Amino acid sequence: MSEQPPPPLAGLRVLDHGHVWAGPLLGRSLSEAGAEVIKVEAPDRASGIVMGGMPARSEMDAHDPRRYHDYDRGKLGITIDLAGEQGRELYHSLIAISDVVIENFSANVMKSLGLGYEALSEVNPRLIMASLSATGGTPGPWRDLRTYGPSLAALYGIKSLLGYLDDPQPREDTADLDPTAAGHAFVAVLAALEYCDRTGRGQYIDMAQGEATMQRIAEPLMDYQMNGRVAGLQQNRYPGVAPHGIYRAAGDDRWLSIVVRNDEEWAALLHVSGDAASYGPGGLANARFATLEGRLAHQDELDAAIETWTVQHDAFELTQQLQQARVAAYPVMGPPDLAADANYDALRTTGVRMGPDAELSIDQLYHGVPWKLTRTPAEISGPSPIKGGHNDYVFRELLGLGADDLAALQEQRIV
Amino acid sequence: MPERALEGLKVLELGDFISAAYASKLLADLGAEVIKIEPPAGDNSRRHGPFPADEPHDERSGLYLFLNANKRSVTLDIEQPEGAALCRRLAQQADIVIHNLPPAELEAHGLDYETLSEDHAELVMSSITVFGYDTLYRDWKGHALTATAASGISMRIGDPGRSPLWIPYCAADFQGGIHGAAAALLALRARRSSGEGQHAWVSIVEVVGSYLAGSALPGFVLSGQLRSRAGTHMEAFYPWQVTPSADGYFEVITMVDDQWQRFVELMDESDAPWAADERLEARWTAWQWADEIDPNWYPWMRERTTAELTELFREHGLPFQPVNSLDVVADSDHLKRRDFWRTITHAEAGEYQTLGPPYRLSETPWELRRPPPLLGEHNAEVLVGELGLGAMELARLVVTGVVAS
Repeated sequence: MSEQPPPPLAGLRVLDHGHVWAGPLLGRSLSEAGAEVIKVEAPDRASGIVMGGMPARSEMDAHDPRRYHDYDRGKLGITIDLAGEQGRELYHSLIAISDVVIENFSANVMKSLGLGYEALSEVNPRLIMASLSATGGTPGPWRDLRTYGPSLAALYGIKSLLGYLDDPQPREDTADLDPTAAGHAFVAVLAALEYCDRTGRGQYIDMAQGEATMQRIAEPLMDYQMNGRVAGLQQNRYPGVAPHGIYRAAGDDRWLSIVVRNDEEWAALLHVSGDAASYGPGGLANARFATLEGRLAHQDELDAAIETWTVQHDAFELTQQLQQARVAAYPVMGPPDLAADANYDALRTTGVRMGPDAELSIDQLYHGVPWKLTRTPAEISGPSPIKGGHNDYVFRELLGLGADDLAALQEQRIV
Repeated sequence: MPERALEGLKVLELGDFISAAYASKLLADLGAEVIKIEPPAGDNSRRHGPFPADEPHDERSGLYLFLNANKRSVTLDIEQPEGAALCRRLAQQADIVIHNLPPAELEAHGLDYETLSEDHAELVMSSITVFGYDTLYRDWKGHALTATAASGISMRIGDPGRSPLWIPYCAADFQGGIHGAAAALLALRARRSSGEGQHAWVSIVEVVGSYLAGSALPGFVLSGQLRSRAGTHMEAFYPWQVTPSADGYFEVITMVDDQWQRFVELMDESDAPWAADERLEARWTAWQWADEIDPNWYPWMRERTTAELTELFREHGLPFQPVNSLDVVADSDHLKRRDFWRTITHAEAGEYQTLGPPYRLSETPWELRRPPPLLGEHNAEVLVGELGLGAMELARLVVTGVVAS
């Protein structure tokens, strides 16, 4: 067996000031790709909030398996008070031996602490710093607004598209803004690393999370620029495609998604639906639905006719039949379905390995790492850290402080 | 001229519609040289629109124009053996191949990683598919909507009892593209030390499931927690909800107690009995009583216009924001000051505005260097100029339909 090559970001050190979601998720991705990611927290502030019902890290004990499922898994944790002179000096010595700094404070918080990119790059010219602010670091009327992901999604129009056709009130998303921003920042940091590997020069990345997320609604934005048309709530529709929907299936709160892109796929769907569904009153074989133009012109009737058929069938069985006929379909999955889904099971355990000290096995990992590198798989090196849990390693081993020095800093609440 | 982060990187894009095109766009906009292989009839996004004045035209589709600036277009019919062979030769000259073709199709045409890497060990291939490359359902059909349903996220969006919702405009395809690009760059960096390329792949279902559906699955498996669809209120803390104003809607959300207190003061309700309700102290559980708590402050919101509320909340530093429509966003002074919209002049689409950068790199800026290509615009430049075909040979390929004229 050949020796495993080092992971892509081996030898790279990242200082992660991320909080809530976007920043921590970026740090997690860098860690899973092999970087040593050090989560930097203030000594006296509560640790961040974790979305979606997981407890905050401060509420979990060190061995809680849920620590492998939050956005800080695989990181080391240190505390440092950046407001004081001594803390800043200590931080500078850390910057000198680090490659990347990531933060998602409000714009210019780091600068006001004297830790802006200009100051830090004097200490380390190879440094890459990524700021994931809400609305960007340059001046503009929205720069100093306070937002969370969901209100930022409202501000940038993302939310104006999410809801039902028969009710003007938008619905809550589950905040895809943060992970969209984190994914974009991941690409930007990797590109900046390419440049740094080639030239030895670092750089500053200013990302407005709102602008990154706008990319995924380019289609209606281009329509506005071209035609002045303002898109509204979309329900499950998509321009030019019909049927394109989520339909009720047999059972309690069971649903099936179906997309038919052309007449050939429509014929295949009719074959699956069979005579009963096709030729009754309001049936699917109605001539109005025979062509894409007809289906687009009669979408409400089309969706009603499809649901009359799907509601009589099990979502999983119908999915099997439609997929065999080469029609795109899948049940709407809830957590119990995902936990029992063989394909998802294969996905979450493929292309990821647990670090040597990890307490969980891959089988106990409910989300793996969705990018798969076949030669250099992702590694989850451990659970999310206890706040300041790696102060000894970082301050003594990496920075060479003596035990007395560290104790003195702890005494003064600097770490 | 500024330097480019991905200067000299050669990328071959093979696929259709959004996911692979967005992945290679991210690389192209930071300096990579992308050749986009299109079938002779062109990418499906050319026929998708939106079109100026709603008149369909293969060179004027807004989605295509957004996704494909900075790239060169070569048409090749990979269904024909000669087309597939030319595609293989182009792959031999590439650092990265990014595709979103179904795995079975890729393999049938000899364009899979195993085949391409035989004579090109340094090649990086990034596969972006709905169900993943090396999985049970690899050959199942899927699109952004079905991927969103399969990921677990749709079950959380919409009203309890009503149809679950997708994230509109194929958000899932963009998510797949972002991580397909990241995977390619990671493989490229691994190559720097090992000298060897590799096959990288993502499943759009898993990207959306693990990042967006986040903790729903571990929450269920580890704690038995099951939440219903969010409707207008997120079941996480209170308030986190879409709230009507006199003439629109507001996202009202706080995670910090002092923000809630300042909001109550702003409404002049500090002394109201409802504001002292002790259930409001546990912000993580208070959402359960939203039906009882909301009516105490919704009238105050409904009596004020979105413009009034926007100003009040900004004055008081509260993180509540209006649900802006796309025209308000597109025409905002903020995006103007940020120089967000960029102008492109295109041979067939004329002058139009397109979206600016998702991020700004100080030394190697995101940039638009060339307009989106016409269909097959670079056939001769690439096939003759770079692959070394003769002009007669190209003419013959056009006649046999391997290359579009």
